[in-house]
Amino acid sequence: MTVQDVLTPGAGAPPAPGPAAGARGVWRRLRGRPSAVVSGAVLAVLLLAALAAPLLTALSGQDPYTYHDELVDSASGGAPQGSFGGMSGEHWLGVEPGTGRDLFARLVHGARVSLLVAAGATVLQVAIGVAVGLAAALGSRWADQVLSRVTDVMVALPMLVLAIALTTVVSDDFPRPLLLVLVMGSLNWGGTSRVVRAQALTLRGLDFVAAARLGGSRPVRVVRRELLPSLAAPVITYAAVLLPSNIVLEASLSFLGIGVRPPTPSWGQMLSTATTWFRADPLYVLLPSALLFVTVLAFTVLGDAVRTALDPREAGRLRVGTRKEKTRG
Amino acid sequence: MRDRRLLFQRAAVTTVALVLLGGLAACSGPQDGDAKPAAGDAKPAKGGKLTVLNSDTQSDFDPARLYTSGGGNVPSLVFRTLTTRNREAGEAGTEVVPDLATDLGTPSENATVWTYTLKKGLKFEDGSPITSADVKYGVERSFAAELSGGAPYLRDWLIGGDSYQGPYKSGKGKKTLDSIETPDQRTIVFRLKKSVGDFPYLATQTQFTPVPRAQDTGTKYEEHPVSSGPYKVVRNTNDGERLQLERNPHWSEKLDDQRKAYPDTVDVRSGLDSAVINQRLSTSSGDDANAVTTDTNLGPAELAQIGQDKSLKARVGVGHFGYTNYLAFNPDVKPFDKPGVRQAISYAIGRSSVINAVGGSSLAEPATTFLPDQKAFGYTPYDHFPAGKNGNPEKAREALKKAGYKNGLTITLTHSTEEGEMGPKVASAIQQSLAKAGITVKLKGLEGNAYNEKRWDADGSPGLFITRWGADWPAGYPFLAPIFDGRQIVKDGANFNNAKLDDPAVNKEFDEISGLTDLDAAAKRWGALDSRIGEQALTVPLYHPVYQRLVGKNIRNVVISDWTGVLDISQVAVK
Repeated sequence: MTVQDVLTPGAGAPPAPGPAAGARGVWRRLRGRPSAVVSGAVLAVLLLAALAAPLLTALSGQDPYTYHDELVDSASGGAPQGSFGGMSGEHWLGVEPGTGRDLFARLVHGARVSLLVAAGATVLQVAIGVAVGLAAALGSRWADQVLSRVTDVMVALPMLVLAIALTTVVSDDFPRPLLLVLVMGSLNWGGTSRVVRAQALTLRGLDFVAAARLGGSRPVRVVRRELLPSLAAPVITYAAVLLPSNIVLEASLSFLGIGVRPPTPSWGQMLSTATTWFRADPLYVLLPSALLFVTVLAFTVLGDAVRTALDPREAGRLRVGTRKEKTRG
Repeated sequence: MRDRRLLFQRAAVTTVALVLLGGLAACSGPQDGDAKPAAGDAKPAKGGKLTVLNSDTQSDFDPARLYTSGGGNVPSLVFRTLTTRNREAGEAGTEVVPDLATDLGTPSENATVWTYTLKKGLKFEDGSPITSADVKYGVERSFAAELSGGAPYLRDWLIGGDSYQGPYKSGKGKKTLDSIETPDQRTIVFRLKKSVGDFPYLATQTQFTPVPRAQDTGTKYEEHPVSSGPYKVVRNTNDGERLQLERNPHWSEKLDDQRKAYPDTVDVRSGLDSAVINQRLSTSSGDDANAVTTDTNLGPAELAQIGQDKSLKARVGVGHFGYTNYLAFNPDVKPFDKPGVRQAISYAIGRSSVINAVGGSSLAEPATTFLPDQKAFGYTPYDHFPAGKNGNPEKAREALKKAGYKNGLTITLTHSTEEGEMGPKVASAIQQSLAKAGITVKLKGLEGNAYNEKRWDADGSPGLFITRWGADWPAGYPFLAPIFDGRQIVKDGANFNNAKLDDPAVNKEFDEISGLTDLDAAAKRWGALDSRIGEQALTVPLYHPVYQRLVGKNIRNVVISDWTGVLDISQVAVK
């Protein structure tokens, strides 16, 4: 970005529109989009279920921890008694093989852990990623070099090894969900940072940013008023991808014993123990994986919708899966 | 549908059998082409190729380096030993029988000297005779540092064993071990530091395999060890990842009444995932129809699946092995120094939820004794702290009160984070049953390898943890001594005596029983000793595992002994 660019309008890229008509406009556009409404509703239901987990399980009269030896067939590997994984009036979604723990209770309680940890970690990842990416893009050449290399290292680091190392030094009394958020958040921000840096470098060259700067705005104000709103679309889209991958990461960490401690349920933990049962008790595998699938899908669709709502100009060109209908219509 | 097919198959088999019996084989044309006899129906015959699908690689295939019980399974096809396990199913399989030797050995001088005579006419795979010097050399090699891996008993028991460095060592050290004498080509004498009644059991291990000195290539010997058994190694790929065996022409059936050796060739493929092995065995397509596994068990989910399929169920063999899964205490950690606390935990334990957590009653039987529930070990039933199936919270509370914990107690249970016998599900089951007695259990999970290190850590094993113990041979000594003999407490390294029990009376009993050559009398006393130690609640026995082994659809003559708990491949036939 040079002064020359500013003095000769039209030499650079066309000016990107600012935040379109504020939050209310975004909201209106989102509401008009069925996919956004449906995915939003699904997520809202999931969130509510997670929040109201103790209430819901009280309603069913179950809790996620009690073993029911009488509900599993001990002689045949501990498979649930009865059909459909032991579904009954008391156990709405059946019971876990081997232990007889109530699956519905474990799923809704597991949603708390999975969603909370994934959301917390995503927020942290985005916060660190945006800060580092902006600093790299707007700072001196030296700062950019150093921060970009650090980012490269973070992206290349074998995450699981580091996470295991971290847990050996952290005391056992430290709350696990918080530890998970911190570990996942502080180790996995490289991608966001790269996206933000690249986007910020492009934006920096655009006229409206230069105008703000020349108009005497201080860097912080430029970032806040000009850059961040334009960064929102890619960042939110990226966060929508990060969130489900964080749910999966929580699962693998739990599997290695550095996730939440048993008997606390989480979707990841349920999945890792359920995999061998896919033929004998399909429901046990299907329930957590279906939930995970629905959550990931809902987040992705909603993320996409939010991005297009934030940036209507891009909507027609980039929206996932719309082109075909358009040409046909 | 399934039942109909099964019926048809049975009918077809019967038809063929009747036709053959009636001597009308020539007229039976159309039927016998498509009717394969079901496993176990026909007499096993020689020939064919046996495939072995395993998860653990058969690495270090050198008789000096193998840590085997009863001569091992794959190893015992190539290596014969002075004695071996009786190749019969069930309890009879826990007996020790002569192999290369004519008998189980003659003890003298209060069982400190053991003399063996080799059978006449034994030959290696190249036709050269097997002599007592070859057996002595085989034992000597196992002392070499570069061929480590075997069990520690020889070093502990043979005179001069603790300082002997093996036959390769140059310099001052002696090249031969004087406590093994070979007065003639067929006689070998072992001189021990103390009376050892169990020596015939020890002589089943592959360290007692004859090795011809002239053909010893040191650490490279494992690539092609010289066979004394029914098969010889054709190719050993990637340190035991694949082991191809074919018949050893110089092995004589007449001189080996234990190994049947039906198949012509054996192909051992390993490094496979256990789920893959069981899936391949159950599908039994192509070569997998002639396949077995010697190290993979059916898991809970697979068992539930097979339970719905009768034809598959017929292909499952059940095995037992001397093994106990238990809760161990480290009394150096408070409050486990108090017998009352340990008793309370013993009373509170709900074994049926623990058993369900490891796959249910088909894979585990409740244990109240430390010794496995087999006669060979001297099993003497006792239940000093009766907990019933689901625990006895009242008695547990009483014991806690006596120990000074009126308002309950909070303890930590350490477990492995890997699913399985020491995993989180078992830990949660224990947590559940102790909670009923007012004992709050905090769970501490450690990653698998870290957990295994921590379990046997001499100065830092956890106060309460889930562990297990199996025997090197089916007798009381190797099962009890490492856990309860005070002189086996190790200061640094791996210590198995977690309770740090060092009771002079118990130690004396160990010495006395281990010197007995009457194995039945010894077994009785091991049982009594186990019951006596059990009174102190130093462990909480949880269960003895049961093994469910699936075989390919053409496999015949499935023999699973209580010594190993896996099917014996020296007995298996594919035709």
